[in-house]
Amino acid sequence: MNELFLNNYVIVYLFSEAVLFLIALYAFFKDISILRFWDFNNFSSKQLKLEKQSYLLSTIATFIFTLKLTLLIYFVYMIDSLSIIIPGAMCGAGVISANSYGMSLLFVKLITIFTFLLFLTLNNLDLKAKNYPLLKFKSWVLLAGLLLIFLETYLDIAYLFNIDLSVPVSCCSALFGNLEGANPLPFGLDIKMLLILYYTLFVSIILSLLLDNKLLTAVTLILFAVISYYAVVYFFGTYIYELPTHKCPFCMMQKEYYYIGYFVWGTLFSALFFGLIWVIIGLLKYESKVLKRITVTSLVLFVSLCSAYVLYYYFKNGVFL
Amino acid sequence: MVKIENLNKFYEIDGQKQYVLNAINLNIQKGECVILKGVSGSGKTTLLSIIAGLDKPSSGKVLVDGEPISKLPDMHLSSFRAQKIGIVFQNFNLLDGVSLADNAMVPLIASGIGLKEAKLKAQDALKLANIDHKANKTPIELSGGEKQRGAIARALVANPNLILCDEPTANLDRANSLSFIQTLKELHNMGKTIIVATHDSLFEELDFEHRVVEISQGSLVGRG
Amino acid sequence: MRNNSFFYFLTLNLLKEKRRFVGIVLISTLLIFLLSSVLFISSSIKHTLNQTLIAQPDFIVQNIKGGRVSPIKDEQVDKIVDIFGVKKVTKRVYGRYFFDDKYSALIIGVDFLDEQSNKKLAKIMDSVDLKSFLSKDNMLVGQGVLNYLKSHYYTSNYNFLTPSGQMQKVNIFKALNVKSSLLSNDIIVMPLELAQKVLGLKENELTDIALNVPNDSEWANIKAKLESLNFSTRVVTKKDMKKAYENLFNYKGGLFLVLYLIVIATFSLLLYLRYSLASSLERKEIAILRAVGWSIKDVLKLKFLENIFLVIFAFVLGSSLAYIYVFILGAPLLKDIFLGGANLKQFTTFTPVVDYSVLSTIFIVFAVAFLGSVLIPVWKIAVTEPKEAL
Repeated sequence: MNELFLNNYVIVYLFSEAVLFLIALYAFFKDISILRFWDFNNFSSKQLKLEKQSYLLSTIATFIFTLKLTLLIYFVYMIDSLSIIIPGAMCGAGVISANSYGMSLLFVKLITIFTFLLFLTLNNLDLKAKNYPLLKFKSWVLLAGLLLIFLETYLDIAYLFNIDLSVPVSCCSALFGNLEGANPLPFGLDIKMLLILYYTLFVSIILSLLLDNKLLTAVTLILFAVISYYAVVYFFGTYIYELPTHKCPFCMMQKEYYYIGYFVWGTLFSALFFGLIWVIIGLLKYESKVLKRITVTSLVLFVSLCSAYVLYYYFKNGVFL
Repeated sequence: MVKIENLNKFYEIDGQKQYVLNAINLNIQKGECVILKGVSGSGKTTLLSIIAGLDKPSSGKVLVDGEPISKLPDMHLSSFRAQKIGIVFQNFNLLDGVSLADNAMVPLIASGIGLKEAKLKAQDALKLANIDHKANKTPIELSGGEKQRGAIARALVANPNLILCDEPTANLDRANSLSFIQTLKELHNMGKTIIVATHDSLFEELDFEHRVVEISQGSLVGRG
Repeated sequence: MRNNSFFYFLTLNLLKEKRRFVGIVLISTLLIFLLSSVLFISSSIKHTLNQTLIAQPDFIVQNIKGGRVSPIKDEQVDKIVDIFGVKKVTKRVYGRYFFDDKYSALIIGVDFLDEQSNKKLAKIMDSVDLKSFLSKDNMLVGQGVLNYLKSHYYTSNYNFLTPSGQMQKVNIFKALNVKSSLLSNDIIVMPLELAQKVLGLKENELTDIALNVPNDSEWANIKAKLESLNFSTRVVTKKDMKKAYENLFNYKGGLFLVLYLIVIATFSLLLYLRYSLASSLERKEIAILRAVGWSIKDVLKLKFLENIFLVIFAFVLGSSLAYIYVFILGAPLLKDIFLGGANLKQFTTFTPVVDYSVLSTIFIVFAVAFLGSVLIPVWKIAVTEPKEAL
């Protein structure tokens, strides 16, 4: 125990996570019994009960999804506010890397949200049909989501209990800055190549969506997400901060930058998640214009927002950073 | 309109099957008026509720307007019931504390219809059931006959083709029962398919075309 | 929304059932009110302290003797000025003067000839004639001090008793221009040399030395250099102070929050039982809805919107009441409990600060507990068999 557990945000966060864990545990057993005993052609009262339980599960999933999304934002905010009491940290970047669990936790959170979003989409399609065609599949997806929640709860505890307040952590300039000329970018890219890739992939995604090419969309989307991460941290971010040396994925979520980071990362993940879900249900022979529209909109918003910061800086100062 | 094949409904008590409905076969044509006759406990209400999709059979096939109603998932069954079937209950089953106009609107709401349209339709249905002058009254302020007409308005609001009535005159005096039969006749003339489950002898002398199906101890008496 | 029949029915239903909800809404509002009040108070105090902290220098250099802060020699100033990267090195003399057992004021000595400190003081000194102020032993007093002195019939001057037992007569020059009562209610501003006398410091002694280091990546470096100047030197950074404040209020707020969560858990349990014992009347109504064509999903939607409405209603009501209670009425009763013991009597009113994080914290705690506990009971009602209507 340390001062961390007296922080309001931490207490509220852990409380909410604990409630969600209990609900997930309950849902877990219900989901298992659906996977084991579901038989739509049976008239038995057991089957009727299971049909009702599937409504409970989708209700719980909606509840979990909504809260997990809210709590993700809350978590990021919490991490940022903890930088005051953790020595050395200037923003969330330092706090999240206080131990090795932090990044995994953040990553698992994102995958959990994606899984539940996938479940809710499948559930919607399933209920529209007359014979529960996706029931088994969606129940497996839900099971995966619930297991991810258990993992997340474990990581929550592992992460927060292993933050040592006496050991200074690194700040973002140490984590993301160029150390002795080493290139932080993947595949030996430089900034110019990175940007070319970024815009090329953007156009490719739009094209493959228009052509309804599922596989190409999935590949380009995932590549784009990876490239975008680096592009935002090492290039676009510096325009948000208006400082060529400030490279950090977290600082842009602070008040000084009008919380714009939430929007930047939000649109990126929205494009990635909805795009991938569109691909997955496409492979199951379902079409969704809505999903496609959300993907394109988020993508265009994300790219325009990033580009706008660069252009704005250029028009204001007449030079690039 | 309604096609029932080899329908069974039983409960298992101590491993023994207790049949409520036993091997029912019944065909009801569009526009027909069927009086389901039988003493209480004969299974007529269960049969009616299976046709309405309120209850599930243990085995057999029930087709209503071509839909296998007993095997529809809840979402489809519900919207089917909202659009295609109107039900008049024995004890009216109006929502307390809600005006007749709003009560009549209830079946439309789930389909996501606009409020203005819903209100207009409810108004029309109340007019059709001859109760529009009491549209703003709540059930507690109404007599049995008036409640009955409110319930009819609710059953008609989505303009369904199939009207199911469960003991409609059980809580009414003779005058109101006769007026109900009059309404039934009008609905029959409009071409609605009607099924009435009743043991009221008033229905034995209807002055319009109808068919009497008798049910006894879970089985149809005579040919279906 | 206006033309949505579903929302129309939802409001209809809420109005119809209002008597059933009154109890739940009352308790919910009370619980939200309690949490909001406490969080509003603590975030307001935190905000004010941080506000004063912004004006504070980056570093404070103190002299430690026997683990206690003791006066520091002013020759240290010259050594510090020589460190590269250090800006705005200021000599500081201040301390508390106890008029009697109960009342004390903060005496601040100011080097009026120093340009930097002058700039800072410009705001409170705007209408003071410096020449005549410095010509005699004069002081500027805050409103609180002025009231105290007046009530003890000191209208033109006051005789301070120095630690060595001598009297030091100082004229009351003017009351301070009070803008934020929080900062200047109980302070006395006088020239540096005079403050040294009143506080019993020698001529070459200071309370501490303040300095700024504009480049924050050099902080650790400079801190090490300052500490190596003298064995007895202690360096306090702004971040240390911020952390200390943070922990102080986390401790109080956190303890409260943990207790509060236990109350919330009890409330959840009651709510769960209350919803599980759905009346037969309620079951009947759901059965009717289901019979006339509502799906399980529709009923779930109705019931959840109903509960979400209750949560939002209680939240808005509870937090608005807390706002009025804390920021307009000044939180009677609760203030003493919360500030009890701590010497923070300058908090007569709270600066209204309500940020999203506090509001979302309150909302999350409550919504998670409330909706989490009604989730399963609501579903149980929603899957009522429509044949129960027959």
